[in-house]
Amino acid sequence: MCQKLTAANVVYIKECVVRAAIIVLETIPKTDKIRAMNQAPVLSKADVGVHSGSHINRKFGFWLFLSSELLIFCGLIGGFLVTKHYAATWPTQAQLSLWLASTNTFLLLTSSLTVVLGIERIQADKPKGLTMFLLLSALLGFLFLSGQAYEYQHLIFGEKFGFGDPFGTAFFILTGLHGLHVLVGVLWAITVAMRARRGAYSSSNFTTVEMFGLYWHFVDLVWILIFTIVYLI
Amino acid sequence: MQQSIDTHAENAAHAHARTNPVLVYAILAACTIIEVGITIGAALPRQTLIPVLLSISFVKASLIALYYMHLRYEKALYGIAFIIPAAFAVMLLTVLLVG
Repeated sequence: MCQKLTAANVVYIKECVVRAAIIVLETIPKTDKIRAMNQAPVLSKADVGVHSGSHINRKFGFWLFLSSELLIFCGLIGGFLVTKHYAATWPTQAQLSLWLASTNTFLLLTSSLTVVLGIERIQADKPKGLTMFLLLSALLGFLFLSGQAYEYQHLIFGEKFGFGDPFGTAFFILTGLHGLHVLVGVLWAITVAMRARRGAYSSSNFTTVEMFGLYWHFVDLVWILIFTIVYLI
Repeated sequence: MQQSIDTHAENAAHAHARTNPVLVYAILAACTIIEVGITIGAALPRQTLIPVLLSISFVKASLIALYYMHLRYEKALYGIAFIIPAAFAVMLLTVLLVG
């Protein structure tokens, strides 16, 4: 009996304390800061990510990755120049099909523009525009790869340059690695476009799109160097 | 929250101040046409042709890095991380081409 009464009393006391606390809290005048905190919209995970340290770290890490990539290509271009200096035979500009390389350059330059325009669309909260421009970039990248495949076929079967001679080794490794980067970029563009179509990005959440843009422009930048050194000089 | 709003405002200001990408594209295309034209048409000696072509190529690469990759508007840290290896690359290629 004594125990039952005690339990009932405890419950009663708890209820009294809670009601008193509510009454006290409601009577306390709210400061402007508390009001602002109550009225502030809840930030989504993505919103927080855009301006947080994580975003900055991801971006800095990506820049470091691009820097290392630049050094890899620098080494390969250096190797190409040394091979050219010592090689007994080297194809002429006509054999290298300068016009095809120029067309490929324009394709990549145009694709860089479409990526920039796509990022501008998502900054303006227009994911449909982003999807369209990214798919256009992927198409231009695919056309670039088609041109490169045609060039390889022409050089290997038409001009008889293969991996056996110094030019073939230096040329195919350098342009082949770049082509591989373009292929990765095309697949990445399609993936990002598909995610954009499903509404995965917004004006406050487009870090991945930004990373893709950096990668694609880097691939374009490297091609500019390759075009000048391999085809023009 | 206030900081986030400020950052959005700064981004918006930057976005308005940014150079028109179509203009950058036009310059890049013109540079490419000049490069190909000089190589095919102009009978420049090799000692003159190589520095001219490399300079045009350097301008094109810089335009892409500054305006398309937004290095001009980004934190200096990103620029330092990219420019140091880029400077190394330029030095190596210059030595190889001049040599």
